[in-house]
Amino acid sequence: MSTNPSVFLKNYLKKGLLILTFVFFGVAQALAADPKEGETLFKANCSSCHAVGKKVTGPALKDVDKRHEEAWIIKWVHNSQAMVKAGDPVAVKLFNENNQSVMTAFPNLTEDNVKSILAYIKQEGDAIDKAAAAGPVGGAAAESKGTSTFTIFSLLGLVGVLLLVIWVLNRVIKTLEQIVANRKAEGLVEEEVEEEEKPSAFAVKLKKLALNKKVIALSLLTAIVVLSAWSVREMWFTGVTQNYQPVQPIKFSHKIHAGVNQINCQYCHSGAFKSKNASIPSANVCMNCHSQINEYKGEPIFDAEGEKIDGTAEIQKIYAALDYDPTTQKYGTNTRPIEWIRIHNLPDFAYFNHSQHVKVAEESIRAAKGLKAEDPVCYACHGEVAKMDEVYQYSPLTMKWCINCHRETDMKHLPKNHYYDNMVEVHDRIKRGEKVTVAQMGGLECSKCHY
Amino acid sequence: MDSNNKKYWKGLEELNPTPAFEALQKREFAEDLPIEEILSGKAVESTVMPRRDFLKSLGFSVGAVALAACNTTPVTKAVPYLIKPEEITPGIPNYYTSASKDGYSILVKTREGRPIKIEGNPNCPVAHGGVDAAGQASVIDLYDSTKLQGPLLKGNESSWEEVDEFVKKELAKVSASGKKVVILSSTINSPSTNAVIADFIKAYPTAKQVTYEPVSYSGIINANKNSFDKAVLPSYKFENAEVIVSFGADFLGTWISPVEFTRAYVSNRNAKKLKKTKKMSRHIQFETELSLTGSNADVRIPVKPSQNGLAILGLYNNIAKLAGAQTFSASTPEFAGNIISKTANELWANKGKSLVVAGSNDVSVQILVNAINELLGNYGSTIDLDNVSLQNKGNDAEMIELVNEMNRGEVGAIFIYGVNPSYSYPKAADFSAAMKKVSLKVSFNERADETSKLADVIAPDHHFLEAWNDAEPKLGTFIIAQPTINHIYDTRAAQKGLLVWANNPIEYVDYIKNVWNTTIFPQVGVAALQDSWDNALRAGFVQAAPKTAQQYTHARELTQSVVSTILAGSKVDAGKLELTVYKHTNIGDGRGANNPLLQENPDPVSKVTWDNYIAIAPATAKEMGINEGDVLEVASTTYSTTLPVLIQPGQALGTASIALGYGRTDAGKCGNGVGKNAYPFVSIVNGTMQNYSSVTVKPNGDSYELAQTQTHHSIEGRDIVRETTLAEYAKNPAAGSQSHHEIANVAQRNAKGEEERYKEGNVKLFNIWEDKEKKGHHWGMAIDLNACTGCGSCIVSCSIENNVAVVGRDEVRRRREMHWLRIDRYYAEVEKGTEGYVEGAVEVIHQPMLCQHCDHAPCETVCPVLATMHSSEGLNQMAYNRCFGTRYCANNCPYKVRRFNWFNYADNEDFDYYMNNPMGKLVLNPDVTVRTRGVMEKCSMCVQRIQAGKLKAKMENRQLVDGDIKTACQQSCPANAIVFGDINDPASEVSKLLKNERTFYVLEELNVQPGIGYLTMVRNKEKAAHGHGEHAESHS
Repeated sequence: MSTNPSVFLKNYLKKGLLILTFVFFGVAQALAADPKEGETLFKANCSSCHAVGKKVTGPALKDVDKRHEEAWIIKWVHNSQAMVKAGDPVAVKLFNENNQSVMTAFPNLTEDNVKSILAYIKQEGDAIDKAAAAGPVGGAAAESKGTSTFTIFSLLGLVGVLLLVIWVLNRVIKTLEQIVANRKAEGLVEEEVEEEEKPSAFAVKLKKLALNKKVIALSLLTAIVVLSAWSVREMWFTGVTQNYQPVQPIKFSHKIHAGVNQINCQYCHSGAFKSKNASIPSANVCMNCHSQINEYKGEPIFDAEGEKIDGTAEIQKIYAALDYDPTTQKYGTNTRPIEWIRIHNLPDFAYFNHSQHVKVAEESIRAAKGLKAEDPVCYACHGEVAKMDEVYQYSPLTMKWCINCHRETDMKHLPKNHYYDNMVEVHDRIKRGEKVTVAQMGGLECSKCHY
Repeated sequence: MDSNNKKYWKGLEELNPTPAFEALQKREFAEDLPIEEILSGKAVESTVMPRRDFLKSLGFSVGAVALAACNTTPVTKAVPYLIKPEEITPGIPNYYTSASKDGYSILVKTREGRPIKIEGNPNCPVAHGGVDAAGQASVIDLYDSTKLQGPLLKGNESSWEEVDEFVKKELAKVSASGKKVVILSSTINSPSTNAVIADFIKAYPTAKQVTYEPVSYSGIINANKNSFDKAVLPSYKFENAEVIVSFGADFLGTWISPVEFTRAYVSNRNAKKLKKTKKMSRHIQFETELSLTGSNADVRIPVKPSQNGLAILGLYNNIAKLAGAQTFSASTPEFAGNIISKTANELWANKGKSLVVAGSNDVSVQILVNAINELLGNYGSTIDLDNVSLQNKGNDAEMIELVNEMNRGEVGAIFIYGVNPSYSYPKAADFSAAMKKVSLKVSFNERADETSKLADVIAPDHHFLEAWNDAEPKLGTFIIAQPTINHIYDTRAAQKGLLVWANNPIEYVDYIKNVWNTTIFPQVGVAALQDSWDNALRAGFVQAAPKTAQQYTHARELTQSVVSTILAGSKVDAGKLELTVYKHTNIGDGRGANNPLLQENPDPVSKVTWDNYIAIAPATAKEMGINEGDVLEVASTTYSTTLPVLIQPGQALGTASIALGYGRTDAGKCGNGVGKNAYPFVSIVNGTMQNYSSVTVKPNGDSYELAQTQTHHSIEGRDIVRETTLAEYAKNPAAGSQSHHEIANVAQRNAKGEEERYKEGNVKLFNIWEDKEKKGHHWGMAIDLNACTGCGSCIVSCSIENNVAVVGRDEVRRRREMHWLRIDRYYAEVEKGTEGYVEGAVEVIHQPMLCQHCDHAPCETVCPVLATMHSSEGLNQMAYNRCFGTRYCANNCPYKVRRFNWFNYADNEDFDYYMNNPMGKLVLNPDVTVRTRGVMEKCSMCVQRIQAGKLKAKMENRQLVDGDIKTACQQSCPANAIVFGDINDPASEVSKLLKNERTFYVLEELNVQPGIGYLTMVRNKEKAAHGHGEHAESHS
């Protein structure tokens, strides 16, 4: 897409060089250094603290082969602390530059392993260089232009359509005015005659009908019925906030976390299996991953209005809340708690306990709601959260909804939980193959939820 | 048959009913709705509203309602922690060990970092899991928004730097001038605090510590010095005593260590002991005012304060005669059929297993008591002079001397720590005047109280739940206190202040660790390691192996001077009324005055809330022409005040009594101006502060209605409380609870379809309810009337656990107190010719009354909206959101335990106690709904705890074990009188207790099948006042 010949040339030259280098290294180190093997090893051992292109816990590894000798690197990887203690000046400097964070020793990585990792780093580093060279002039510019032209064209199109509408309307008005003028010219008398004659046919009938008592009663009745039905419906759903989907201060996507990245619900909602509160994770839980993951690189995400969400900016909001500086990796004191908007609001007089449902009664709920084995039990009431970018209230959370579930759910977990051991009669019923519902075990009694 | 024809009454109105009282009793609610007025049009006439105004307001209301209804659902925020402390899981309480103000180990329940409830530590070697009312209520003081929120310097808000600079500069000046520096403190038994004070004294060599207690035990300590050369407060072992004789010592209510003594005392009288041995201890009480302890005694003799010493002398002479020891010639009084000599014989027969205690603070009296106990060989068995009590170190002589020193200008600096002498010192004005002569006055008190407002600097100390501390209530027993919340206001530990001013930069917590590592761990034989510290924190205490209690013999002989002092003390001013003042069971010496829960907790005997009063015996009042509610002018030679009269059955004739701790002027919004100060009636005699005086009283013509919960419900002569004597019980364990067994019998036959009748003329047990199967759990309770002392700790515990509102004096007068649990106190006259009879003597029974969770609940039958109904687990449930307040249920409840919510107490500025402000709300239990106006509420048997306990068992995949679930009242009870559990579990304690022969159910003849059983009270008395013995036997 680039039209600048010099850049064009540069790119091609670079690519050529790259190919040449690959070929060269490929031949020289075919057995010793395999970037593919390196990638696997890097991801398994290094990636928790290192990235190629940027500083994470450890320094960016791009061009590490240029900064240090291979033998030194191997020694460092095997036991960095020994080198620091021995007083290797380079090692000590490096150690101090990185907040004196100790790098895990990897004595089990062979020299060849390390070489493979280096090969992978080099390959990745070159890819970054390439992207950097192509980036600013090519892709990014084109992309940004594309967006703006599209907007402008669509706006212009809209203006055009509106103008067309105005023109058409004007024409219609003019035509109508002309008709009226023509009629007036044809004479007033005719108009009067028309007024006297026409009602006799239709309007009189209508008038008669309107005065008919039966019709009046019928229409009144209809109105009352319709209005009542409407009011009942309205009142019935007063305070029911099913499908409530507020805009959250951070455009957190459950789809990316629970869906794409397969993070278990309990990792963040750790209270769900222990407490009555599932609990919203504290920001330090976010930081377990987001101290490393500071930009969003996945599929583009859109909010409910179709606006594209800048994932990286959203991640930055966690840092802002904690007053965390990703470059120095230090926490400040100017913290601002994140004010999430609560989606599931039970009234204060209703007691609900998550652990009771998801831990004690998991089996029964799964069976009752027909959940797939691989789905978390949470789906029973919260829907398929892993497919929701923005979470909404999936269930009505009305008392009727609670009660119905308690009426219908078979207590499949009962025989397995020793708590129920003494309740011989129920066990007998289950053995006979009868269904024992939560309601039959007292699950509809007021003070199970209200106290 | 009537198993119990003794006549009980709740108040004098019931004993001698007036027509007005009788009319009132027939009505369910004290006040009527103004229906008549409305119907007759009077109400409308009185509030004329023009039609147009009416339409306008109607239109406005409709519009407003419509607008309000159009509101979208409010947006609720959920703000999680930024960095969640590891140990916190929202929704799950954490428990931390700490130490109560009295220095026993407690568990503090915190939710999301907020302490919300105090429970006893069951392993505590002193209190064994009991907590008194004051301890329960102390948690709300933490959230008192009217406390000082930072240091004050010369009355202005200041900073700690400025305060430190000022104090250090002034201290240097005082030090240079050579004047004394005094730390005036309450009892400090914290080893670390004492070490800090010692360090401070090292830094300022002219410094000394003076321990002041408004109610001290100087008399006992000095007497022990005299008798045994040990100036200590002994440990009393009530559990080893078969015969207990107390002369005015309220050891179950206020005397030295009531929680500890209650547990010990009851262990010798409760169901377990009775069932096992068919024996119980015998308790004889001689006292002036009817105290909590006196109300529990087997025999109680009202004694004038002037005769108290003589009675003890008489007892001594009798015992000395038996022992062949020296006697003194003095004419001593006898009471109630030679009870003194009889008591002496009983004591002598139980040598080494008896205990004589006296509440007097007179050294001579206490020396005599020591001599009695020594003759009885009680040292080493019931009195322990080796593992001594450090719970009260008040030294009257030092305090009296301090005021003199201050007046002479010898004191340059004074540090007030936890005391309030400008209020509580008998000559408070003298003390306040002397304060002016001290150049540096520093107070550590939480607010500018009566004394602190005279100080230059107020350096507010942390609340005890915010602070590190330790305590040594008994020699060798060390309790540790850890903070359960960061300090809410800008307060600082007093110890830290003393360290800073002594130029020691150490943090107090590190200081404590040092003290524990260097002195405490070696004492208890534990290595000074981090592990030991962690273990101590987990357990809450460490204990050195207790020493063996030794027998002691007197160091010096009794002299005639002891006797002559006592004789001199028995002189009476002619024409005057003898007055005693006493520490109040709830608000203590005045420290609890600003706590609304304590103010509203009824006095255990008089059931008066929110006031003190002058108690006078009915006969004395009649003689003087005084009526209940009259306001009297009470005057001693130096002080006079006005107080309303309470006619108190059981009060010694010709005496009056007033509670201490009231009449605070700078206690805070709840305590200011409540009652009248009685401290000026304390007299300083023979170098100690003594609790009697003689006064003249005369009505000033006013009348005043005390807010009493006592007569709010009538028993209408029903057979509600039952008692028997030990002799009867030994013959027939079911004595006293006969009717229960009869009814059970009738019920059984009825079940078989036989037309057996209950009582002559009565139809068979009437049953209008559907009988339900009792499957699974069936919750119930057993209350041992022999164990319950009526202390009222359970009431406060229940109120905090269940967010029960405080309603205030006016609402209590309107009979609208909200307590879910009350303790009914019944009086019965001691019959003429029976043991312990003197004119006006009464016997008392305390009966905790709460929702009985009837299986055939009459309240459920009448609720038009099914807001109250039965659970399959035997609970009578309340769904607040269904209730619309017809109050039919309260009408139909035979036990009168339902409470109607008249106001939105949690958001009403007229109920400015603690619930209505944002700070106070932090103490509310998040697991219990805060009820709103217009609904009924009542005991839920702590259903939130039941549900939590069941869930815990389910989560741990195990069966529920008896004792997993404890209700709040049960948990706090120092006497273990309340036992809750699953009746269907044959192994549970409650089901065993309910099978005890003593068990009866209140009003069971109504066939409402209550879920709470009571165990008949057994009095260790020769013969019951009514002699129902043969009567009962004839039916057995």
